[in-house]
Amino acid sequence: MASLLHEELVLLNYQADNAETLLKELATILQQQGYVKDSYIQAILAREKEFPTGLNTPGVKLAMPHAAPKHVYKEAILVAKLAQPVMFKEMGNSGKDVEASLIFMLAVQDPKNHLDALSKLMSIFSQKEKLLEVYNTVDKKRLIEKLNAVLN
Amino acid sequence: MKRIYVACGSGVATSQTVASKISSMCEDEGLDVAIEAVDIKSLENIIDQCDIYVSIVSNDANIFDKPTVSGIPFLTGIGMDDEWEKLKSFIEL
Repeated sequence: MASLLHEELVLLNYQADNAETLLKELATILQQQGYVKDSYIQAILAREKEFPTGLNTPGVKLAMPHAAPKHVYKEAILVAKLAQPVMFKEMGNSGKDVEASLIFMLAVQDPKNHLDALSKLMSIFSQKEKLLEVYNTVDKKRLIEKLNAVLN
Repeated sequence: MKRIYVACGSGVATSQTVASKISSMCEDEGLDVAIEAVDIKSLENIIDQCDIYVSIVSNDANIFDKPTVSGIPFLTGIGMDDEWEKLKSFIEL
């Protein structure tokens, strides 16, 4: 299976003041690289508002924004490590805040194709050591290698 | 056999993943269940067809008159043992 990870979609020490700006900018990167349609950007913002995706994961808190398959051309996972945490809301509308330091923005088409990869990606969400290892990687290539080792 | 629905906003990423996680956990314990990921918008029309509801979106736990567990612990691992025990008790009802 082709990798869902690409060097141009790995961002290190990314700066953003708030979740909305961050989501807009990250979605725009996916759009400019030809992975998603223009409509993906608004869809990501709307969906995050209605169904937040922050997770108070052990070690590194994260968010996994995504939108409906109809907005996607090519499947990919954008990974952004934030220079400073950005406030998200917790998935499930507990109303709790999540100070996310790591973002996995998903561009998914047919979820069945990538269920295995998504499951494996999410399997590290509950593993503090693995999350920290990914988070502490400072090189794009190494980060992709580490994530691919999890996904494949 | 108990039918379990897992619902999230779009039914594409989170619910599929949680459904697959729960499915393999049930398999490991030899529990006979049918698990489906659905999107929250169609849930209202089909909720009658399931026995147990795994909720990932919003605080809708009380809207449906179905045994309900939270799906988020199956993603983060935090509090998973408790939700798993709860789910198993519903499966064995």
